[in-house]
Amino acid sequence: MEEKIALENRVIPIRMLYESLSTTHQLVEEILPENGIPELRIALGKVKNTLRRNLEKAREGLPIVGYHFAIPAEYISCFECVPVCLEGTGYYLSTLLLDGVEKYYDLMINWGHPFHTCTAQKGPMGMVLDDLFHFDAIFAPTAPCDNTCSSYPFFKLEKKFPLILADMPFRRDRRSYEYYGEQIKKSLFELGRVIGQEPDFEKMKKHIEIENRVQELRFEIFELTKAIPSPISNIYNAVSAGTFILVSGTQENLSFYEEVLEIVKLRYKKKQHHGGEEKIRSIWPYMVTYFDMSLCEWLDRELGVSVLFDIFNYNFAEPINTKSDLDTMFYDMAKKGMGWPMVKQSTDFYYASLENCLQMAKEFSADCFIYTQSLACKQFGSFPQLLREALKDELGIPMLLIEFDVGDKRFTSLKTIKEKIKMFTQTLM
Amino acid sequence: MNLQDDPFLSISNTIMNPYVSEWQKNNKKVIGHYCTYLPEELLYAAGILPFRIRSTGHKHTDLGDIYMVRFTCSFVRATLDMALRGIYDFLDALFICNSCDHSRRMFELFDLKVFGREEFMKQVQRYYVSIPHVITDEGFEWYKREIEELKENLEKNFINRIITHNDLKLSIKIYNENRSLLRKIHELRILDAPRLNGSEALQISIANASVPKEIANNELKRIYNVLQEKEGIKEDFKRILLVGSEVDDLTFTRLIENSGAVLVSDFLCFGTRNFLDDVKIVNGNTPLESIINKVYYRMSCPRMMDDHVRRLEYLKNEINRAKVDGVILQRVNNCDLYGCENMMLLHELKELDVPILNIEREFYQADTTRLQTRIEAFLEMIS
Repeated sequence: MEEKIALENRVIPIRMLYESLSTTHQLVEEILPENGIPELRIALGKVKNTLRRNLEKAREGLPIVGYHFAIPAEYISCFECVPVCLEGTGYYLSTLLLDGVEKYYDLMINWGHPFHTCTAQKGPMGMVLDDLFHFDAIFAPTAPCDNTCSSYPFFKLEKKFPLILADMPFRRDRRSYEYYGEQIKKSLFELGRVIGQEPDFEKMKKHIEIENRVQELRFEIFELTKAIPSPISNIYNAVSAGTFILVSGTQENLSFYEEVLEIVKLRYKKKQHHGGEEKIRSIWPYMVTYFDMSLCEWLDRELGVSVLFDIFNYNFAEPINTKSDLDTMFYDMAKKGMGWPMVKQSTDFYYASLENCLQMAKEFSADCFIYTQSLACKQFGSFPQLLREALKDELGIPMLLIEFDVGDKRFTSLKTIKEKIKMFTQTLM
Repeated sequence: MNLQDDPFLSISNTIMNPYVSEWQKNNKKVIGHYCTYLPEELLYAAGILPFRIRSTGHKHTDLGDIYMVRFTCSFVRATLDMALRGIYDFLDALFICNSCDHSRRMFELFDLKVFGREEFMKQVQRYYVSIPHVITDEGFEWYKREIEELKENLEKNFINRIITHNDLKLSIKIYNENRSLLRKIHELRILDAPRLNGSEALQISIANASVPKEIANNELKRIYNVLQEKEGIKEDFKRILLVGSEVDDLTFTRLIENSGAVLVSDFLCFGTRNFLDDVKIVNGNTPLESIINKVYYRMSCPRMMDDHVRRLEYLKNEINRAKVDGVILQRVNNCDLYGCENMMLLHELKELDVPILNIEREFYQADTTRLQTRIEAFLEMIS
């Protein structure tokens, strides 16, 4: 028993996440009316199940493999291991714990991590510094940002965790996909060598096929969002982002989207809005607040503002071909990885993103854009004004810019964010 | 002779200079770039003058702030600000690579807002080079292909002729000589009684980056001779190594040196890192392959994710070689790359028992008093 506890203690934050998620799930089930925020309920249940399974695997002594959020989790399903998404774990905890993971941010800042770096990494780094994680290996791409490039070496240099890097070109063409596909393949073999396993690509294919289906479902939900009123609840964006990076490639992820699609279809048929009345349709080209997801409900119910989608919910990859040879599969995997939210925008010039935003604004009948600029995301730091001007000049749509930190309420409080949105929406109505 | 009054070095105080004007009068092109991962030897072999974009002397970012949020690097924002004011209108082309998240977005911003502004009629070409973030064999092959394509582009769109092996060999020779001269000058800087201080070294480096290298080489030889004859600095001072992100303005180095220190060495983009490695044509490599080899495998900056240990070892060695009393780690605010690099160095260099100061700053001296207090306190602390 003691040995099992010791093994589980290699992933204490996952235990924290599981416990906080279970409590929240129970609370949500007991307090909310029967049909209250179904997307949240379903997501909590699915993620909880996956985490429980991962904790069991940790107790069995399987290797702990940390992965960067821009590595689709199904890519490491070729190993028998405990997958831990570093950014996903940190941000989910920032949502679920009372003061988020501020303690770990502060720990890292005191150690010298600059205040302007990404809290998605700062949190897990603090947890590592506090010896809450013991990774057998960490797998990351060299994208999408300077934060990734500069923060990940810490794990190797300070804690000696093997760090496996798949170099991702900042260019999007056939040669880039071939290069990155080779990098993924090479990295998986290297990861296997480090944890003492042969990659089982047949097993990986099955998880990739699950995600191929998930992509179809997500796209269907996205398409339904064109309807007026929007049939999704705002919180869908937040929880979908969570499942997207935490439980990708699992049956739980698939059933989450299957169940949500049914709910969305029903609302669509009834022309029903989750918050009651849709007054304003907004597109969030970046993210919603992770440190407090209640913003989503407040927007839905108090202001009647629909968040049609955020960055995690408007980027879609083509299905990965699992029926052909391995090289084709890795080529498609590279394409998907480079089309990942944030990575897509980072590895390409802004021109495509501008076009995409304008197109979506038209297709989804958006009234406005709300651009949350996170302190750490420098690669997005020179985009807002270009977008604002393009929206104004070409479509006459206004954009609100809010500077914040996705995972730290102390930078810009929820109250301030709400005030800004409220004043902005008053100008629209 | 006081180097600060040297006419050649006064080039370091301005952006445009007579040598660039002269170059363009002869119908030759000037290409602006931000990063040393663009192989200058190749551009020079094409008869093009590479010009490192900098913000020297500029004190505003208000126009740049419109297009870049306040969390971005004020150095890059300042260069955009200057460009929006027309200061970089003399450029014939802009070459960008993915050095960092801030500078690589200048590709689009210059295109849409600087070269795209109504009153600006000149056609300015742009080119983008994608650089790997790791140093591996596959990364080398990727980078090689990028530079080979760059060469083809230069031949086709800029000079309408082939860049020959001889062009490249000549360029390599000129650039190697240039680096060799800079290294010789650096040796005079690390002496017990340094013949020049860090601000003068920075002036030399900036001026050197702003003119054709043949002219620079003549000037560097002259300066080297002057320095050899010069008496070394004998006053009581602390020997400091300056590490970190872009420094292209003397006010910062002077702030340190006016507080009782001499910057006897540095690890800066505009400093020693730029002249450590030479191009060597070996093993039957073509001149172009040799250039690519040098630029890719040279002493890196923190944008290379897997090369920290080599940078650390270099610094440890330089601390001993230059008999350094203290290290100042600095970064321009919001520079994540140097923010984390300096964090690691702060802990790792402790084993050498050398005092370290870790500071952040803006591109120009906006907060002089705060910095001065910290620097003076640090220097006083060094026994």
